[in-house]
Amino acid sequence: MSLTDRIAQGLKSGWNVTDGASLAENQSAEADVVIIGTGAGGGTTAEILARSGLSVILVEEGRLHYQKDFKMDEQSAYANLYQEGMGRVTRDGAIAILQGRCVGGSTTVNWTSSFRTPAPTLNYWAETFGLEELRPDAMAPWFDGREERHSMAPWQVPPNINNDVLRQGCEKLGYSWQIIPRNVKGCWNLGYCGVGCPTNAKQGALMTTIPGALDNNARLFHSLRADRLVMKQDQIDHLEASAFASDGITPTGIRVTLKARHFVVAASAIGSPALLLRSDIPDPNHCLGKRSFIHPVNATVAQMPQRVDPYYGAPQSIYSDEFNFRNGIDGPAGYKLEVPPLHPGMSSGVIPGHGESQINNMTGLPHMQSVIALLRDGFHPESPGGTVSLRDDGSPVLDYPVTDYLWSGVRDAFHTMAEIQFAAGAEKVRPMHLDAAWYTSWAKAKVAINQLPMAPHRVRLFTAHQMGGCAMGSDPETSVVNGFGEHHQIGNLSVHDASIFPTSIGANPQLSVYALAARNSTRLAQRLTG
Amino acid sequence: MHSHTHPSSGRSQLTDLDRRSFLKTGLGGALILGTVSITSGLSGCATQPAGRLSDDGLRMKTSYQFRFLTGDDIALFEALLPAIIGPALPEEHQTRSRAVVGTIERIDAGIHKFGPANQRELRRLFDLLTFGFTRITVARVWSRWPNATTAEADAFLERWRTSRIGLFNNGYIALTKISNVAFYGYRDHWHLSGYPGPPQYAVDALPQFQNA
Repeated sequence: MSLTDRIAQGLKSGWNVTDGASLAENQSAEADVVIIGTGAGGGTTAEILARSGLSVILVEEGRLHYQKDFKMDEQSAYANLYQEGMGRVTRDGAIAILQGRCVGGSTTVNWTSSFRTPAPTLNYWAETFGLEELRPDAMAPWFDGREERHSMAPWQVPPNINNDVLRQGCEKLGYSWQIIPRNVKGCWNLGYCGVGCPTNAKQGALMTTIPGALDNNARLFHSLRADRLVMKQDQIDHLEASAFASDGITPTGIRVTLKARHFVVAASAIGSPALLLRSDIPDPNHCLGKRSFIHPVNATVAQMPQRVDPYYGAPQSIYSDEFNFRNGIDGPAGYKLEVPPLHPGMSSGVIPGHGESQINNMTGLPHMQSVIALLRDGFHPESPGGTVSLRDDGSPVLDYPVTDYLWSGVRDAFHTMAEIQFAAGAEKVRPMHLDAAWYTSWAKAKVAINQLPMAPHRVRLFTAHQMGGCAMGSDPETSVVNGFGEHHQIGNLSVHDASIFPTSIGANPQLSVYALAARNSTRLAQRLTG
Repeated sequence: MHSHTHPSSGRSQLTDLDRRSFLKTGLGGALILGTVSITSGLSGCATQPAGRLSDDGLRMKTSYQFRFLTGDDIALFEALLPAIIGPALPEEHQTRSRAVVGTIERIDAGIHKFGPANQRELRRLFDLLTFGFTRITVARVWSRWPNATTAEADAFLERWRTSRIGLFNNGYIALTKISNVAFYGYRDHWHLSGYPGPPQYAVDALPQFQNA
């Protein structure tokens, strides 16, 4: 297996990479296209545009971290690779938001699950938002292309015990399960995807499209935050950005002005609406920042008789869609079932508790197994999503009210997850809820879960998938961009990230972002070079 | 609305008390929060980061430079950690204080990375807990934190955990989550959860570990 470090080699070979922290004076630069964000959307866009001969500048607020920094350590990874040092939450604090903040964005820290946008989702978009051109058949070649680019394939190695428990439980109960496609090449099966792949096996933006763009003369500024897009008449003239010191947090006061013919915003479903809001981009129908979706996640943990070692091995390799679309696309909330890796820091933060009960929870870690449910939000009138708005200091905050419709999905999911864990042989199961205890049988868990209050804070909720806020649609009255990510009002502005999804995806979104960004960038390249 | 039975005893009594006192202080609570930040502002140094700790016998001398936590916040965590981490803390006095101080330092370092918006929220929470009037009226902790017993700290945490008021639950989660992650996530404490650490064969083979 190869230990070639694409980033170290590229830097040595003279890639045009500027660390914002190193800038001593204000400066400006110009290119055909300025791309804000280096995650799934920004990276894909940069590579395709740069390969077509356009000059490209990439702007990333996080820092460039790569193999030398990826030491399989939770604390340094959470502090340096995640938004707000892993402390990002919704406005009321009730939902923890896991999101990358580094070159490669969330693809640098995700668990490598690579799903096509489910066909029912694409068909719903066609029927509800006029996105006929995104039907499954039309998107298939774009998924094919991105699966190849990111080396996505169903995981060939046997699942770790953590994932196998989900498989066994589903098997016993007659629920469907499948093997997860992963974007890896020469994976060592270590289990540290979430803290930066230590072996360069993960084929996220950091190992693929970012190097591809830089090889084609793109320029990357990192540790540089996009503050405002500045308009001149009806076009965007330039981007104002400001640098962070090497801690990634402290502003240095240095400002960078970036001019371009075209601007692509790919700063995530929280960052992109925020940038457009800060920039007072025309939003005649008040769609900006609305309909934000998060796949609300709840979880149960189980104590298994066998050793699970849930911190080792590919973190996600088995999933079940048994409950995802069974009530139809827009019926009662459906959910996808997956498994999270459990390292000690993450586990101690996710399992609520203190004192003796917490040390008892934690000493069980080697035998601990967990299942998570990702709720499919945005497909029902009672699931209108959340809102991204700006705090006084211009930073974004997500408000996400959990509706009764979603709460009933959360309760259903608690039932399903506990049932599966007991069916797979769990000795006891505990829902992640402030009032929940360890239950020693499915019968007891069932009764208890029916009694648990479905209330913010008491139910521990998470999101690792942020979507929407700059929704695409054929109707400018109800959307921000069209089906190609082109802004309805501003001719030289596109949005190429998960913020354009008009609902959630119903699966981990990275491949959906890659594919749409590839499609929309190919069209943009033709437009700009034509 | 919450007609279910609570698993732990004494819960409903606490719940009612919480609800009553919150309704009574409801708007007042917001005013109190305002008072806290104004008072802290007037007293000048109250919300200044503690900088470097001096060796006063209890706290260990370390070179760590605090960036966010104030002297009062540190006293708060010195009182809370024996309740939050509890039996997982070492018994022996010196090692115990070292573990407590090290955890508080990592909490401070973590909060630095949380960025300004979270820091403002946490400042309000810590001010509420350390300002005498709100400590007594809102957190219902009678002793100053340096004098609070572990039992008092635990009772406070239990009140906020079991409260039907979301703000208190949120405070409980914030305090315990940053403490738990700073403690259990730290390599010296991995053994407490039975986590063996990254596989040794990988550490031996990977270039990023070779200079250590």
